[in-house]
Amino acid sequence: MRRITLDLLIGAVFSALSGLLLRALLLSTGATPSPSRRLEKPEPAWPALAAGATKVASYEIDARLDADVHRITAKETIHFINRSTAVLNELWFHLYLNAFKNDKTLFLRSPFGAGRSGDKAHEYGYVDVKKLTVVAGDGEDLWAKRDRHSPDDPEDETDLRVPLPRPLEPGQTLDLELEFEDQLPELVERSGFIGSFHFMGQWFPKLARLLPGGAFAHFAFHPQSEFYADFGDYDVSLDVPSGFQVGATGSRMRESQAKGRTRLDYHAENVHDFAWTAWDHFEARSERIAGTQVTVLYPPHQQENAQAELASVRFALPHFNALYGAYPYPTLTLVHPPEAAANAGGMEYPTLITTGGPWFSTFGGGHFIDVVTTHELGHQWFYGLLASNEHTEPFLDEGFNSYAEAEALEAHYGSGSVFAAFGLSVSSTALNRLISAARGQDEKINQGAAEFATFRSLGALVYSRTAIVLGTLARVYGSQRINHALGVYTRKFRFQHPTTADFLGVMQSELGDSAVTALTQAFSERASVDYLVREISNAPISAAAGVFDGPTGRQQKKPEQPHQPAQYASRVVVYRHGTLQLPVEIALGFEDGTNQLRHWDGSGSTFNVDNVGPSQLVSVNVDPEQRILLDDDRSNNWLSTQGSSLPLCRERMLYAAQLLLGAFGP
Amino acid sequence: MNEDNSPSQLTRLSTAAAAGVLLWISRTLLGLLIGYPILLAIRASAMGAGPERDAVLFQPGSLLLLELLRLGAPWLASALRVALLLSLLSAVIELIPLAVALDLLWLPGRPLRERVENALRFFLRFLALGAIALLVQAALLLAASLLGAALKPALSSSDERLQNIAPLALIGLGLLACGWFGCVLDIARATLVRRGRRECGARAALAHALLCLRQRPFSVLIGAYPSVAGSALGYLSAAWLVTRLDPATHSSGVIALCFGGHQLAVLFAIAWRVRWLAAALDLSRSTR
Repeated sequence: MRRITLDLLIGAVFSALSGLLLRALLLSTGATPSPSRRLEKPEPAWPALAAGATKVASYEIDARLDADVHRITAKETIHFINRSTAVLNELWFHLYLNAFKNDKTLFLRSPFGAGRSGDKAHEYGYVDVKKLTVVAGDGEDLWAKRDRHSPDDPEDETDLRVPLPRPLEPGQTLDLELEFEDQLPELVERSGFIGSFHFMGQWFPKLARLLPGGAFAHFAFHPQSEFYADFGDYDVSLDVPSGFQVGATGSRMRESQAKGRTRLDYHAENVHDFAWTAWDHFEARSERIAGTQVTVLYPPHQQENAQAELASVRFALPHFNALYGAYPYPTLTLVHPPEAAANAGGMEYPTLITTGGPWFSTFGGGHFIDVVTTHELGHQWFYGLLASNEHTEPFLDEGFNSYAEAEALEAHYGSGSVFAAFGLSVSSTALNRLISAARGQDEKINQGAAEFATFRSLGALVYSRTAIVLGTLARVYGSQRINHALGVYTRKFRFQHPTTADFLGVMQSELGDSAVTALTQAFSERASVDYLVREISNAPISAAAGVFDGPTGRQQKKPEQPHQPAQYASRVVVYRHGTLQLPVEIALGFEDGTNQLRHWDGSGSTFNVDNVGPSQLVSVNVDPEQRILLDDDRSNNWLSTQGSSLPLCRERMLYAAQLLLGAFGP
Repeated sequence: MNEDNSPSQLTRLSTAAAAGVLLWISRTLLGLLIGYPILLAIRASAMGAGPERDAVLFQPGSLLLLELLRLGAPWLASALRVALLLSLLSAVIELIPLAVALDLLWLPGRPLRERVENALRFFLRFLALGAIALLVQAALLLAASLLGAALKPALSSSDERLQNIAPLALIGLGLLACGWFGCVLDIARATLVRRGRRECGARAALAHALLCLRQRPFSVLIGAYPSVAGSALGYLSAAWLVTRLDPATHSSGVIALCFGGHQLAVLFAIAWRVRWLAAALDLSRSTR
């Protein structure tokens, strides 16, 4: 009995100590912010911030959610101004909820699954427009004259043309009234319901963006594509069953209760979309951060996730404000969907973002919550305020935002921005590089979302490789210069719809020709680079020998012994494969322990590094600071005459094998 | 020594130390063997061919570690398969030093050659016991996972935490049961070594161990607890120490400290395992 008690006591003490150590290993290294660099001070030369957008299409919507049958009945008024230089004879409507109408739509017809989530619809959804009339017009139902399907696609009804009864001159306004009914699908990506959880993205009939020349940037809802719309103001009244918590774009202006229903009025200015969610299980947490009222809606028992999301915003919002111009809206809503509706997570809408992750996301050393929150928050700039065409140039928002996300996370957490525990740290840059290098040259970055062969290809190129292109420039030209250039771009084109040309124009003025050449090649020409070395040569130097005819006659010099102390001529040839030309440093190591750093501007395909000195060259390392993140293969960047040895790996392998035998051996 | 004459405390300590060192040596040699294919794969990737050698793989952020995984994935995957096969083989080979260690703990004075001969004689019976244990443990884990799957529909309306935790808890219970069966297995092995000269078979040894479990359940189920908890403490302490060192500096002092810390942890775990093996011998002896 004494022995049992002793064993129990010893075991309990050991277990308690192990628990403390485990906690220290998981939490202290995983959560302690270790800022790697300080945010630069705001530069005095920023362009002035625009107060608001040029509004083209504003919406008033009065919607009622019947949660039991997952249906929305709504009336919508559109205030449209022809800001183009052309007379308009038609309008284009996006009815993206029809993407989930049946298995033959452009969105769902792929046998490999739909879109970004890969999900197929289980219960279908659609939007029925009952009536479209001109306000104060003759009451003619314009909807009856619409095209029945998307252009060249008889199976799809997400992109419909409506002829106008009268031409609309430049500068003229047009007010339209619609009545529509949404039947929500079981959640596909970010639209639909799961149980009583409802998320309404792309839920109302919406005008395609009017381009300055008078054409509409209209497109059917493609599974790989996101969106593009004009700025405007939104006044939306939402009528939901009492007990449902609602989160929506904009600010809640009024709330009233009547007959078992709750009515909520929302107002948002200078935005280009409106999304909302309603669920009777949401819990809420709210906090004022950097002048913005931030609210997190989250499932029960996920307080830790909500706290982590708020903590993430506490760092990232002021960080992005300083870098890219102040967030201009009074509110920001974070929606953490329940696990069953995980597909609704990780998405951006104006002033509303969705995060996600299971309840245990904050355990261990992973920064999953920070990654998704910071990424989606960054979209408030790279999508929200800089409303680029996500259909034709998706890298302008997703790619730049991936760079912004990595930059912010590394500023917050240092090298462990994705994971840090048990002495292992993984940075966002390393992860982006891994994906970028694996698939980086499959296609070009700068192409339309629908043109990518697969969504994985889009993900690798648009998200990761774009971030790595910008990351490489930040390391080559200096992160302050790149961040400043991006800051100029985000301020200059705030509340606008910038294009690749707009971005390159800013880079031209801020960084010069060589950077623009590299960016153009990397984004639009599938350019790549691989620096490599193949051999190191050393030779002792002695005086030249042989027969020499000179003014004093013929002389014969015999070979001498090498100089004492010996002089060596050393050479290493560095090669550049690929078409990207980026300056690079080359570190040389000599036998006597001295080191030298040489610079190559990257021109030409080879660069001879020569040295004459008392010691032999024993090692070379091209790009020792790992600035060229785009380098295709880093294993050929170095050489050492001392051969390959793996003392640390040998030690770790032995220990790992001993652990394995200890755990599973006899 | 006969069963009625216990060795002195000093003899017990010295034989326990000898048994521990023997197990450490065998585990180290087998560990070197298991790790070798992976080292070859890393060498083939050329990621350790630079001036900083393999220290680059331990840099903060893991940029080059991920590069190794990307470039060396085919070689590493093959090497890992070979390493796992070698691990299986090593686990079988390790039965011999284990038998010698048990023999050392049981009969301190016997010549080494005789011990090795005995261990080789027990080898097949140890192997048979191991196979039985493997089958029982697999059945326990299968039962736990089937139970978890059966519970899933019943938990579908409960909160997410319970849905995630319940199957894990069942697997945990399954693992605990596997661990306990491992204790029984150790007593069976001890019985084999103890009765060696009486030609005890694997079945009889297992029956004796189960009898021991019936007679002294707490001693069996709790006896190995310090060993398991001690191993965890040793390994976590080593991890804590090593995370405070920066291997990316590539200094030989850091490598030596890492090696020392890790090997101390292994020795610490083995020491507590030896203590349990000695207890298993005692439990086997005192079961009638």
